[in-house]
Amino acid sequence: MNVAYEDRFADIEPLLPRVEKPSRYIDHEWGTLAKPEADYRACLIYPDVYEVGLPNQGIAILYAALNAQDGISCERGYVPWVDMADAMREAGVPLLSLEGAAPVASFDLVGLHLPHEMACTNCLEALDLAGIPLLSAERGEDDPLVVSGGPSVYNPEPLAPFIDAFLIGEGEEHIVEVCRAHQRLRDAGATRSQILRELTTIPGTYVPSLYDVVVDETSTEHGYAIPKPGGDASPMVYKRVAANFAHTDPVPQSVVPYAQLVHDRLSIEVLRGCARGCRFCQAGMTYRPVRERTPDQIVAAVARGLEKTGYDEVSLTSLSTTDHSCCPEILARLNRALSETGTRVSIPSQRLDSFGIEMAAQVAGEKKGGLTFAPEAGSQRLRDVINKNVTEDDLERATRAAFAAGWRRCKLYFMMGLPSETDEDIVAIAQLADRTYEIAREVVPPAQRGGVSVSISCSVFIPKAATPFQWCAQTPDDEVKRRQQLLLHSVKNRSVRVHYHDADTSLLEAVLSRGGRDIAPVVLGAWKRGARFDAWTEQFDLARWEDAARDAGIDLRAVAQTPYSLDARLPWEHISTGASRGFLQREYRRALAGETTPDCTRTSCTGCGICPTLHVENVLAGERS
Amino acid sequence: MSDPRAQTLFRLRCAFVKHGRLAYLGHLEVLHTIERIVRRAGLPFAVTQGFSPHMRAGFASALPVGTSSDAEYFDLFMTEFVPVPDALERLRAAAPIDLAPTAVCYIDVHAPALTAAITRVMYRIAIDVADGYDIASERIDAAIAQLKEQGSIPYERGRKHKVLDLASTLVSWKVSALSDGGLELTLDTHISNDGSLRPEILLSATDRLLLGCAEDEGPIVSTGIQNLRTIRRYAICRTAQYVEDADGSLLSPLRTDETPSAPKSVSSVPSL
Ligand code: SF4
Repeated sequence: MNVAYEDRFADIEPLLPRVEKPSRYIDHEWGTLAKPEADYRACLIYPDVYEVGLPNQGIAILYAALNAQDGISCERGYVPWVDMADAMREAGVPLLSLEGAAPVASFDLVGLHLPHEMACTNCLEALDLAGIPLLSAERGEDDPLVVSGGPSVYNPEPLAPFIDAFLIGEGEEHIVEVCRAHQRLRDAGATRSQILRELTTIPGTYVPSLYDVVVDETSTEHGYAIPKPGGDASPMVYKRVAANFAHTDPVPQSVVPYAQLVHDRLSIEVLRGCARGCRFCQAGMTYRPVRERTPDQIVAAVARGLEKTGYDEVSLTSLSTTDHSCCPEILARLNRALSETGTRVSIPSQRLDSFGIEMAAQVAGEKKGGLTFAPEAGSQRLRDVINKNVTEDDLERATRAAFAAGWRRCKLYFMMGLPSETDEDIVAIAQLADRTYEIAREVVPPAQRGGVSVSISCSVFIPKAATPFQWCAQTPDDEVKRRQQLLLHSVKNRSVRVHYHDADTSLLEAVLSRGGRDIAPVVLGAWKRGARFDAWTEQFDLARWEDAARDAGIDLRAVAQTPYSLDARLPWEHISTGASRGFLQREYRRALAGETTPDCTRTSCTGCGICPTLHVENVLAGERS
Repeated sequence: MSDPRAQTLFRLRCAFVKHGRLAYLGHLEVLHTIERIVRRAGLPFAVTQGFSPHMRAGFASALPVGTSSDAEYFDLFMTEFVPVPDALERLRAAAPIDLAPTAVCYIDVHAPALTAAITRVMYRIAIDVADGYDIASERIDAAIAQLKEQGSIPYERGRKHKVLDLASTLVSWKVSALSDGGLELTLDTHISNDGSLRPEILLSATDRLLLGCAEDEGPIVSTGIQNLRTIRRYAICRTAQYVEDADGSLLSPLRTDETPSAPKSVSSVPSL
C-alpha cells in the first residue's frame, strides 16, 4: 500500500464543528465489528451520506459475512456531504473509513454499493476523495482493488471503466470468495492484472477490462461486450444466488447509529425474491427465485435482534412481505411477543387486496398513519400490459377496507410513460384517485372526513435491463411533461393531490439504464462539472450532464428514447439473471397483446429459466394463497 | 375497581459521561442513544400510556454539540426494582465507552425533574491561544471581569436577539496556565428557567475584548462552535452539575437531601 492504514481522526476533527450533522463522521457506534489488526481489510462504501447508507441491508449482510471471517476485517465508508467534502479537500484530508478513521486508499479492497443508477457520480466522488485513480486502467499495484455490487449492476457498462470487478447478484458468499482469493494472490505476489484474471474464475464476477465492446450490425449503437481474444473470461456472467438463504443468519444487522435516521429500526429480511412478474420490475427478475424464512426463525430473529440493538421498531422486509405464505401467523406471534414493550412492527409495502389490509391492520395498532398502494397503471388494459395482476375490484375492496379500519391517508403510486400508454390511461389514473376519494367519503364518518387525504405519486417509467421491457424506449421528456399536465387537469376532486417525478432525472436514469460503455465518459464528464449527490433533487442539474454528453458526442435523448429491436444484441446481455432471452421476448410480446402471466409461487413454473439455469428453486415455508 | 394500569414504579437516576468523539452528538441523538442503551440493558422500563407508548425517562438540560461532559444524568422509571450494582452493570455493558454510565441510585418517584432540580453547572474550558497572540491568563481573567462588570452580552441565535445575563448566571471563574502551555478556564454557573450560561458566547465576547474590537463588528452569533481569533482551539467540558440545598450547599443529583436508604416506590397511575 502506498497509503498507511492509520487513524486519521485528528485530521477531520477540526472540521467537524463547521459542518452540518457532525455525527455522520464520528463512528464509535454500538455494534461495529471491524478488527483493526486483521491481515486483510475491506472497506464497503455506500455512495451517499451516512444516514441514507447506514440502514442498507445489503451492506449489513456483507459486513457481517466478512467480519465473521478469520483474518478479514470489514469497515464502512459513506460519501461526505458537500460541505464536508469541500472542507476535506481544502484541508487535504482523504476519505476515511468509519471504524478505523483510516484512509480508504489504504484498504486491500474497496467495495462500492450501487443502489440505483443515480449513484454513479457519487462513486466517482468517493474514489476521488479517497485519492484512488478513477479509471481502473490507471490504478497501480499499490491501489486497492475496486469492486462494485448491488441492485443496479445488471447494466454495469456505464461504470465499466471505473470498476475493477463487478460482483453480480447476491453477495454474501461471493464477497468472501473474492476477498479470500485476493488475499491469497496478494500474498503470492501476483500482479494486478494476474489478480483480475484470476477473479474471473469466481462465478458471478465480471471484470470489464477483460472484455471488448463490439459495435456491429447485430447490436445497437452501444455495442455488446465479448471476452478479449485469448482471454478466458466467460462470455456470460450469471448472477449469484444464496440458495440456502433460509439458513443464513436472519440478524446480520449489528450497527446502531447515534444519528436519527429515516429508517431507524431493526430490519429482518423475511423472504427474498418476488415472482409476481411485473414486467417493468428489475428486482422481480434479479432476486428470483423466491425463498422464505420459517415463522419460527423470524420470530426468534426479531427477539434476538431487538435485544442486541435496543431498537423500538422492527421492519419485516422483502420485496413483498404480505406474500409470505405464513404472514398472518408471523404477525400474530410477533404481536403477542411484543405487546407491552412499546415496540412497533412495520411492513414496508401493502398488497393491494383486502388480505393486505388485514395484515396492515395487524401491525398498525391504534396509530394509523398513511397507507401506500401501487396500482402502477390507471386502466385495466395497461395493468394487464405490465402484468400487475390487480383488478379494479381488488383496489376498491382494499381502499374500502382501509378507510373502514381507520386509515385516513392514502397514497397511490403510478408510473407514466409505460409501453402502449395512451391519454385514456392517464385519465384513468385520475379517475381511480377520484373514485378512491369517493370511497373514503362513503366509508369515513362525516365528523372525521376532514382528515381524509388521497394523493397520487406518479413516476416516469424507466426501461430496465434484464426485464421484459428492456427493449422499450422511454417516452420523450416533453411528452412526459404534457401527460403530467393532462393528469393534473383530469383529476376532478380538488382534494386529491398530485405529485410527479422530475422528468429530467428520469431522462438520465433511462440513459444510464439503457446505454453502454460509451456512456462512461459522460458520467466522468458530469462529475468533473460538479455533479454529485444526483439523487438529491436540489443537487441535481441536468445541464452538467448535457454539457458532458455534448463533449462526448452523445445525445442523451436519443439514448433514452430510441427503442431497441427485439433481436439486437444489447449492451448488458453478457450479464445474466438466469432468465432466458426467449422468456423475456415472450413476456414482451404477451405484454403488447395484453396477456397476463401468473405468479410461479402460486401456480406452476412459467418458464423464466432461472431455476434450471442456476440450479435453484422457489423455497416456501407454507402454501401461498 | 382498581385500575389495571396502576403499577408500582421505581425511579432510577443514572450519571453518565459524554466523552471523546461522542461530544459531537446532538442532544436528541444522546436521548435516543440512552433509550437504546436501556433497552439493550434489558431494564424493566415503564412505558407511557396512550396513542404511541414510549419509554418513561427524564433528562438534564441539553448539552450543545461539541461539548463533552463528566456528569450527565437521566432518570428512568421502572416497573420492577433492580439492585443498584446490577442495574449499573447492565447499563455499562450496553453503553459505548464514551457514553458510559458511572453511577446509579434510586430516588423518590415524586422528586422534582432533573431540569428543575439542577441549578448549578460547572465547566472546564481548555484554551489554545492562536499563534501570534501572547495572551496570559491574567488578560483573560481581566476580560471576563470586565464582562461581568457590564452584566450582560447581547448575541443572536437564529433570527432572535438574545442576551446572556452574566449577573445572574456567572457565579465565579478562574483562569490558570497549564504546564503544556495552554490555558484553562473554569466556570461556576447558575442555571434556571430564566437562563443559563453558554460558555461559547462568553468566549466569543472575551475574544473581542482581547482584540480590542471595534463595535461595528456585528453581533455575536451563537453557532455551536465559534470561530475565534485569539483562540485557536477550545474544548468545553461540563465537569459537574449540582442541586442546591436550602442553605446553598451543593449536592450531587445522585445524593439529594433525602437520599433514601431503601428504594422508594408508590402505587399510582403514572401521571403523563
Ligand atoms: S424458473 Fe419457473 S419456478 Fe423458477 S423463478 Fe422462473 S418461473 Fe418461477
